[in-house]
Amino acid sequence: MANLYVQATPTTDLNKNTEWFTYPAAWTTYILILFFSWLVVLSVFGCSAGMAWTVVHLSHFVVTYQFFHWKKGTPFSDDQGVYNRLTWWEQIDNGKQLTRNRKFLTVVPVVLYLIASHTTNYQHPMLFFNTIAVFILVVAKFPNMHKVRIFGINADQ
Amino acid sequence: MITIPYLTALTTYFSYGLLFAFGQLRDFFRKIFDWWSHNSLEGYAPICLGLEDFYIRRLYLRIQDCFNRPICSSPDAWFDVVERISNDYNKTLKRTTRVDRCLNLGSYNYLGFAAADEYCTPRVIESLKKFSASTCSTRVDGGTTTLHAELEECVANFVGKPAAVVFGMGYATNSAILPVLIGKGGLIISDSLNHNSIVNGARGSGATIRVFQHNTPSHLEKVLREQIAEGQPRTHRPWKKIIVVVEGIYSMEGELCQLPEIVSICKKYRAYIYLDEAHSIGAVGKSGRGVCDLLGVDTADIDIMMGTFTKSFGSCGGYIAGSKELIEYLKHNCPAHLYATSISPPAAQQIMSSIKVILGEDGSSRGAQKLARIRENSNFFRSELQKMGFEVLGDNDSPVMPIMLYNPAKIPAFSRECLKRNVAVVTVAFPATPLLLARARICISAAHTREDLTKALEVISRVGDMVGVKYFPAEPKKQQLEGEGIKMD
Repeated sequence: MANLYVQATPTTDLNKNTEWFTYPAAWTTYILILFFSWLVVLSVFGCSAGMAWTVVHLSHFVVTYQFFHWKKGTPFSDDQGVYNRLTWWEQIDNGKQLTRNRKFLTVVPVVLYLIASHTTNYQHPMLFFNTIAVFILVVAKFPNMHKVRIFGINADQ
Repeated sequence: MITIPYLTALTTYFSYGLLFAFGQLRDFFRKIFDWWSHNSLEGYAPICLGLEDFYIRRLYLRIQDCFNRPICSSPDAWFDVVERISNDYNKTLKRTTRVDRCLNLGSYNYLGFAAADEYCTPRVIESLKKFSASTCSTRVDGGTTTLHAELEECVANFVGKPAAVVFGMGYATNSAILPVLIGKGGLIISDSLNHNSIVNGARGSGATIRVFQHNTPSHLEKVLREQIAEGQPRTHRPWKKIIVVVEGIYSMEGELCQLPEIVSICKKYRAYIYLDEAHSIGAVGKSGRGVCDLLGVDTADIDIMMGTFTKSFGSCGGYIAGSKELIEYLKHNCPAHLYATSISPPAAQQIMSSIKVILGEDGSSRGAQKLARIRENSNFFRSELQKMGFEVLGDNDSPVMPIMLYNPAKIPAFSRECLKRNVAVVTVAFPATPLLLARARICISAAHTREDLTKALEVISRVGDMVGVKYFPAEPKKQQLEGEGIKMD
């Protein structure tokens, strides 16, 4: 298993903030981090499997909303601020919509929602929060929402 | 094509995620502390947004001692590295008076001209006494001496073009020339791994920029066809001109450009080609004339040839070589010629003397020896490293060899362990390279002797075992078995 090699071709994406996502093993790392955080939540809180999935789903919502759809710009100044008005989601794949990366990132919160609601047996307070989380995340990823700032929230001065 | 073990890719992503998470946590607490403490600059806008220097504050500063190491001798094969200590976990570093004598594997000293040379140095000192250290003027005011005129002729002859113009700084050559050559309504197609100076020059020009996959002529053709068919964005008018920018040797990969195919594609579609030979001029080719010499491309086919003198000639500055009309136009319009100080006279003399040595015009065969030695050294070093199981990039004959490290923790480990054993290597990480592909870049010089290289190989092998960067299986030692076979006969 340790001898499994993959080929990495350099991409044509000049934006260093997003080109790391086009290399192999990015998707697998994402899924593995979610799985391991579920195990950590289970061992720390000692709750049921369903509650742990709900906790993972809601913290995934907070973290990905903050870093994909709220924070704008890049964490280094080499690119002279050309991306300062764009969130990470608007930057990936150079703004092209409906690419494989975007489809994958849209499917992950939906799958997490299904797992979380199934393992909690669709019980009431958890189902409400889970549904709001997945609704906000999926709507934020629609192609029509590219560069849209509702009510001026998170717009620049 | 870089081959990564899958497990390494997973662990690298995970490590960067962890570093990022800790950085964000520390920033969060810092924001809370700062809100409590008194801020003397009330009402002023912040100089930089908090997130712009996140990478520098939270990732780069942790391993700051591996970069920017000060040296206190000339960058020959062996040099003196100043030791630094830190009392606050690498946030600030203080120079001590202790100095280590280390083997230099990081300087761009391809032909060994970086230290005192028996032909060049006396002439440089003479011109320093005659012309003094700086011309104190721009080229158009009072900064063109006889040395500058001779130098431009010398460079044009060496490179194989009718005329050349020389600037004081290599980075400024690229970033000041591209805006003069092309403007709005033009198209620049550049290789995805081009140097930052080209990217900045292209952005500053106002032309549309498209990128083609690194060193892939078929993708270049696809991009050219698509762009010529579509025309300018929104108006769809034909492009005013198209320039394709490639480099001779890519400094982070050590790969040679696939120049013959790219030149034939550019001719077919009538695009201009701009070749940046910063690392290849003087270091490759039978007579040291760069990639055109090595790959057999006629210099008349390349429209604009650019290069720097920092690497093989032991000096500073950059040049552009092209047709007489092009150089006349540049001399009248380029801001680096009209407003920037001209190249320092001793530096100009160093370039001319080193070109004479390379071509053998000083009466000895040292130039040919140096070229042969750098080729031998590079091939020997690369093949030995590959036999040990390291993943080394780059083509044969290229003096730049990056050793892949990948994990962020291996970067400071490799660098510090090598320094402890008196070998100084340069490690490069994000954002100069893609996130996953951090590497240690080794630059071989003609000044390295066989003993130096063997010592370097021993140290790198030992450190590679400790750090765990031998990603490929090592080749078994065949010579021992053959030797025993012969003895038994």
